[in-house]
Amino acid sequence: MEKLGKPTVPVITNVFEDLVKTIAFKKGMPDQRFVFVPHPVSGKPASTCREYLEGKDPITGKPVLQEIVEVLTKPLTEEEKKTGFIERPKPPRLAGPDAPENLHRLFLKNGWTDGLPIVLPTEEKVAEMLKGTSHKPDEMVAQMRPSAPHEAWEYTVEKVAINAVMAGAKPEYFPVILAIASTGVTSLFTSTTSFARMAVVNGPIRDQIGMNSGIGALGPFNHANATIGRAWTLISRNLGGGGTPGQTYLGSQGNNLNYNNLCFAEKEEELPEGWKPVHLQKGFKPGESVVSLFSGWSIIDNGGFKPYPFQEVMKRQALGFFTSGTGNCFKNGVPDSAALTLLLDPLVAKDLKENQGFKTKEELGQWLMKNTFKSTWEYWACRPDDLKKAQEGVEPFASWLKLPPGALVPVPVFFDSEKPIEIIIVGGRTNPFWQAGDFNYIASASVDKWK
Amino acid sequence: MNKLKTWLLLGVFLLISLLATVAPYAEEAKITVLNPIGYSPPIRRVPMAPRLDALSGKTIYIVDVKFPLSDQFFVEMQKVLTEKFPQTNWVLRDKKGTYFDDDPGLWAEIKEKGNGVIMGIGH
Repeated sequence: MEKLGKPTVPVITNVFEDLVKTIAFKKGMPDQRFVFVPHPVSGKPASTCREYLEGKDPITGKPVLQEIVEVLTKPLTEEEKKTGFIERPKPPRLAGPDAPENLHRLFLKNGWTDGLPIVLPTEEKVAEMLKGTSHKPDEMVAQMRPSAPHEAWEYTVEKVAINAVMAGAKPEYFPVILAIASTGVTSLFTSTTSFARMAVVNGPIRDQIGMNSGIGALGPFNHANATIGRAWTLISRNLGGGGTPGQTYLGSQGNNLNYNNLCFAEKEEELPEGWKPVHLQKGFKPGESVVSLFSGWSIIDNGGFKPYPFQEVMKRQALGFFTSGTGNCFKNGVPDSAALTLLLDPLVAKDLKENQGFKTKEELGQWLMKNTFKSTWEYWACRPDDLKKAQEGVEPFASWLKLPPGALVPVPVFFDSEKPIEIIIVGGRTNPFWQAGDFNYIASASVDKWK
Repeated sequence: MNKLKTWLLLGVFLLISLLATVAPYAEEAKITVLNPIGYSPPIRRVPMAPRLDALSGKTIYIVDVKFPLSDQFFVEMQKVLTEKFPQTNWVLRDKKGTYFDDDPGLWAEIKEKGNGVIMGIGH
């Protein structure tokens, strides 16, 4: 609005002080004037809102109303009128010399780690990592930002190598890490809702670098799975300009999955006949090595105990995600949409194909999309316009309003979702279990391109 | 006396030898590492809009960016400001969609009819 020539008063709740000042700086308004009120205002009665407005700014101690008037009318200072560029000095290439112990402390203090010990990126170790690719160290890889309002940082092959060393990765994993970095997708997406990410590797590279797609693939049992996933988070912090709580990371609770971002390989060898691996579903060719990235929040585990057919249990899981994450139904009037990703043990996939008749992953996904319904209260909560129509006697809404409490509205949960249900095969056939998450697909990148 | 001198000389010799042995190791223990941080872009300054000479007679928009369940706060803000500054026209508007969505129509309206804006952000 300031760009449109209108003096603007951003009224912010006080917990977002660091965030808004950081964003204002990055957007070119380091002297932006703010007014803060106590957090939260959400759901507060009128009397409390009035108290906040007639009270004092919790950051400055000045009366809120006085500040609003000042932001609109107090003449600009010379600093506030400035134009031109604020240059950002390039970080020095080297740190040290110092004792390793002190360097570990420095990295931790500067927020360059994930809180766990790292491998110090000496010139020798980084040079060794760079042998994992034919690309030159100074080649620009991509840009990354913590979320759309933030600035994009850029990085070279060498910078990615430094972070790969820190994560403990081997040079042979480096093409996978570069492929992830080349998407520009951060693993530390900043939102108050604590996002998680997932990285799934397909193709010959899985075996070439010893990734796990079998027993314990999602657990802490495999060096490649562990360090590739970890490298993504270090890259997101150090190269993507993110991961500083309060400024470039706002997840209220944070997400434990961010430590290695659910990094695993798909068990392609155990796919039932007719079920395609993820990379083929995304348009890549057989024989190519690809990493695919997914975004979501949470994941739950389920045992396939009879007499329920697996797909019936999956329907209920899909509903479980409806009010969280991509359920996106936190305010009246927000269209409901949902996302679902299923990580199936090969035994589950086999049953779904042979006993339930799902010939492809897509067939299962479409069946779930068409057959998952929500309860009446959930439907009306999300669709106040439809509720109004129902109350005015408009059909079919009026009939749905007469349904007993807890009944299902015959409108599929996923009816307006543009995202397909994703199905990935992983596991060691020790039990027909699967995991379901509110994840959706965001990007794939060729690993071969980065060899 | 000679014995004492001999022991003293021997002691000094041992001390020098010890220092000569340890010092290079202490130096070797220091290492240099590469900085893991990426490149942040330069920032183009955006000059702030000229301020108003007074509020009286002006139209100020109050925009609810639509964080969940915060509408009551803006309704109250309009009431309080109207009570305290009755000579100013305080116009309350909801931005369309959620706080993720842009609303070019509203921005155009404010550009045409407004003199200033209060924008509410946060839960």
